Amino acid sequence: MTTADVALPGLDCGLCGFKLCADLAARLPAQPELLERCIHLAPKPTPSTLPQPLPKREGGETTTLPRPLPERERGAAATTVAAPRRAAGQALPVMPRAEVEPTWQDSLGREFDFYLEHFPEEPGPRETILPHNPLLTREMEIKVGDVLIGRPLGMSCGCPITHCGVATEVDPRTGVIVWCVTGPLRPRQEGFKDLGYYSAEAYDGLIRKQRPEVEVKIGMRYFFQPRMCMLQWRHSGLVNFMNRTKEGLQVRLEGLWIG
Amino acid sequence: MAGEPRIYFDNAATTPVDPRVRAAMAPYLDGCFGNPSSLHVEGRTARAAVEQARRQVATLVGGPPGRGIFTGSGTEADNLALVGVARAFAGQPVHIVTSAIEHPAVRETCAWLAQREGVSVTYAPVKSDGIVDPDEVAALIGAETRLVSIMAANNVVGTLQPVRETARVAHARGVLFHTDAVQAASCLSLDMQRDGIDLLSLSGHKLYGPKGIGALVCGDNVPLTPVIHGGGQERGLRSGTENVAAIVGFGEAARLCSATRGEEAARLVQLRERLIEGIRARVPNAYVIGDLYRRLPGHVCLGFAGQEGESIKLMLALDEAGVAVSTGSACSAHKASEPSYVLTALGFDALRARGALRITLGRFNTEGEVDRFLDLLPRAVGTLRPITTRAGAVAGVCS
Ligand code: SF4
Repeated sequence: MTTADVALPGLDCGLCGFKLCADLAARLPAQPELLERCIHLAPKPTPSTLPQPLPKREGGETTTLPRPLPERERGAAATTVAAPRRAAGQALPVMPRAEVEPTWQDSLGREFDFYLEHFPEEPGPRETILPHNPLLTREMEIKVGDVLIGRPLGMSCGCPITHCGVATEVDPRTGVIVWCVTGPLRPRQEGFKDLGYYSAEAYDGLIRKQRPEVEVKIGMRYFFQPRMCMLQWRHSGLVNFMNRTKEGLQVRLEGLWIG
Repeated sequence: MAGEPRIYFDNAATTPVDPRVRAAMAPYLDGCFGNPSSLHVEGRTARAAVEQARRQVATLVGGPPGRGIFTGSGTEADNLALVGVARAFAGQPVHIVTSAIEHPAVRETCAWLAQREGVSVTYAPVKSDGIVDPDEVAALIGAETRLVSIMAANNVVGTLQPVRETARVAHARGVLFHTDAVQAASCLSLDMQRDGIDLLSLSGHKLYGPKGIGALVCGDNVPLTPVIHGGGQERGLRSGTENVAAIVGFGEAARLCSATRGEEAARLVQLRERLIEGIRARVPNAYVIGDLYRRLPGHVCLGFAGQEGESIKLMLALDEAGVAVSTGSACSAHKASEPSYVLTALGFDALRARGALRITLGRFNTEGEVDRFLDLLPRAVGTLRPITTRAGAVAGVCS
């Protein structure tokens, strides 16, 4: 069949980039490849320029939500798919989301011991960081309250994502900065200083939820999941400070790595 | 670019109000303030305006005239469709089939129904092109399935979904079909009667109308239980005094879209192609996410191989340069622990699922703006720190 034989749908929908089907038809003899632009005709989707995605998990996503998922959905998937039967009029089971037991696996299926949460009074996860050139702290006149962006690079952590945060402590002598990681809204609204690359030296936070069999001890290295990690990759770190508070177990972790 | 007007390329988030819409609304914010439920002249004037808007909205989507229910938003329309149908089958098992890439208005409502109302929900997968396969949906329909809900176009990647084909497989099994057409209605030719759509959700502010107004257009004989109770407005399906000015604006916005849709779609496709061609020439590590042609006319979703982790910086750089686009959010305290579930469903790893840049063109964008953006983009991308200098070779390029 040639393009001349093809009857266009006559919808004049414009989705091919031509106002009228007749306009596309007029171009077909010279450019038959334009036919694939009529989405109503093309039997198969057009390959995009997307790099090959990773193969999907086995087991089929047809019965579960796609991964990675936040904790509540990972835990809730089974009940979501097959909700318990109940007779008409029977009281509904109330399942607060917070009570769903996590799977204790990160987005790559690796196990971890606890979630690290940020302090409730702070705007985001507290991190101690060091610009790769520590002199930058002085040169850029970084001070408490400054909005900063930068990417953790190298030995420490290895995260490939640019972070934004607000400085809460600054040591101009060593270059060490403590910041709370926040979303992009703040740098958008207030402007920012770009640190370039930095090392994440320590995380401070709260453990509110941990694997039942895990006992957190000072001096031990653990796998943990920063609650706000956008990749939901597990990290590991050495606990070198512990303090039980009413909000949870306050810890400091140093010697950070991803994985 | 100091002094240049800003470029708004985030029309998927919201669209500016068309001045003609504003003009149509004005009388109903001022003199014509009547309550449409009142019987006096003021009330009857308001009622006539509401009913005209209802017809205009129904015409936009080929729905039965008079069957639209005005709501406070597209999200509320989705809630009414899903919860309303599920509750209409009270006492019987209810199963809903939806997709893995639905808007949170559907996704979260389904999750809530599953958790709190005993509804079973199955999420159909999508392929890497971002499109749901009707055959896969058909395979998921069971004896207890009451509703299939598949969006008309995805808000993140812009891919068009096979609505008619999916409605057909639903109807073949005696199941109702709902589509969230919030993103699609301004430029996609939808016809509820032709396409077999039983319920269709719309939002005013995605089609150059005001915010705070949406609609659920229902076919005949669709069982629906109200979610909001009260004075029995909107045929008892959505109580609350009608937001007359917003409804009038929504109606006018729908009329304008109906009148110009094909022509506007063609114009936006041409702008989109200009944009993609320009990006291809200037930023070699850029790649388009989702099917190239089965997408909303003005919608481009891009990744930058090797720089996906820098999406925040790119958004900041573009914003600073005077361009509003959309991207994934940062590692933050504000709802940032999730990579895009839509991109994850397309098979992206967690990093790539954070790195998309969404550029969405609309009625008021021009070729000149696209060209200005193309001048700005390489500079903004150039400020990013690549994770590797061989990223283009590793991850594929726009070709
Ligand atoms: S996409 Fe197909 S139906 Fe629509 S105007 Fe082009 S040729 Fe006609």
